[in-house]
Amino acid sequence: MQGRLSAWLVKHGIVHRSLGFDYQGIETLQVKPEDWHSIAVILYVYGYNYLRSQCAYDVAPGGLLASVYHLTRIEYDIDQPEEVCIKVFVPRKNARIPSVFWVWKSADFQERESYDMLGISYENHPRIKRILMPESWIGWPLRKDYIAPNFYEIQDAH
Amino acid sequence: MAAASSYMGFSSFPILGWLGGRREVIRKKLFSISAQQQAEVREGDSKMDSQGVKEDSKSETMKPRTQPRPVEPQTNVKSKNMSRDYGGQWLSSVTRHVRIYAAYIDPETWEFDQTQMDKLTLILDPTNEFVWTDETCALVYSYFQELVDHYEGAPLTEYTLRLIGSDIEHYIRKLLYDGQIKYNMNARVLNFSMGKPRILPNDYDQLQETKL
Repeated sequence: MQGRLSAWLVKHGIVHRSLGFDYQGIETLQVKPEDWHSIAVILYVYGYNYLRSQCAYDVAPGGLLASVYHLTRIEYDIDQPEEVCIKVFVPRKNARIPSVFWVWKSADFQERESYDMLGISYENHPRIKRILMPESWIGWPLRKDYIAPNFYEIQDAH
Repeated sequence: MAAASSYMGFSSFPILGWLGGRREVIRKKLFSISAQQQAEVREGDSKMDSQGVKEDSKSETMKPRTQPRPVEPQTNVKSKNMSRDYGGQWLSSVTRHVRIYAAYIDPETWEFDQTQMDKLTLILDPTNEFVWTDETCALVYSYFQELVDHYEGAPLTEYTLRLIGSDIEHYIRKLLYDGQIKYNMNARVLNFSMGKPRILPNDYDQLQETKL
């Protein structure tokens, strides 16, 4: 099962892997981290001018980390915009993904949050640092093998 | 309240010593130690009326405690680096019963010298939620010293201070559950932040028997 974008990418000889369709029928593609920056530029030129959402998750404890990009093609007078979902998987030992900040500026805070929560360092991001946690925090809270420190909080106040 | 107070201005410090205090003698449970390895002398003024009686000193005698090594008391301390130019913030870990600052704080005047970041100052239970005696304070201080020795070489960040502060809070909770300290019923806020006071039935019976 191949979507429209996947067929177009195959036609132009761009390496990717189709992951099928999500529940809304939106095409999902997997892209290698080393190819991701050039493919992002290609997708922007193709017409995906809007990064609707960037998020990240931990696939399994000790496994891969995933960075997910939902792209939309916004045009005038259109009620069914083209959408695509790109997933980039990286090993947690060397979690480096090229940043798409210079392609879609809206990736700024979302990539910082992904960095803060999962420790994926986005290369070429202008200011990659923690955004939610204190800057001196140690560890990546949303990784599945993260162990929360035993910090004292008031839990029993009446 | 305690979490918010790390952002309070310096001028509010003397007030904190008064919170909950109905006694004439205000206990200043303040304790500074050096964050670096040096020979130190005892400091820390604790003018305390020992009204609370300590029942159980077993755990004290069981294992040798780390001797606290307080820094020398300094005279003529002035508040330094507190202005907005220096960020208007300080390195601290503030929870309700434990306030740790990476600074020297004068126990009398509460002057806050931020240039001396090689020292850690612990302000113990500023809201007087518990009844403290000299011995129980010394327990906490020695535990503080033990933790600081343990974290020697760790970066001086808020995270490390919070680890230390949380361990002290857990230790205070343990002291409370062991019956070594108890709630101060004259405290201004009586919300029993470490759990409701409990009377174990067995203990209660024994208490009755011994009284009769």
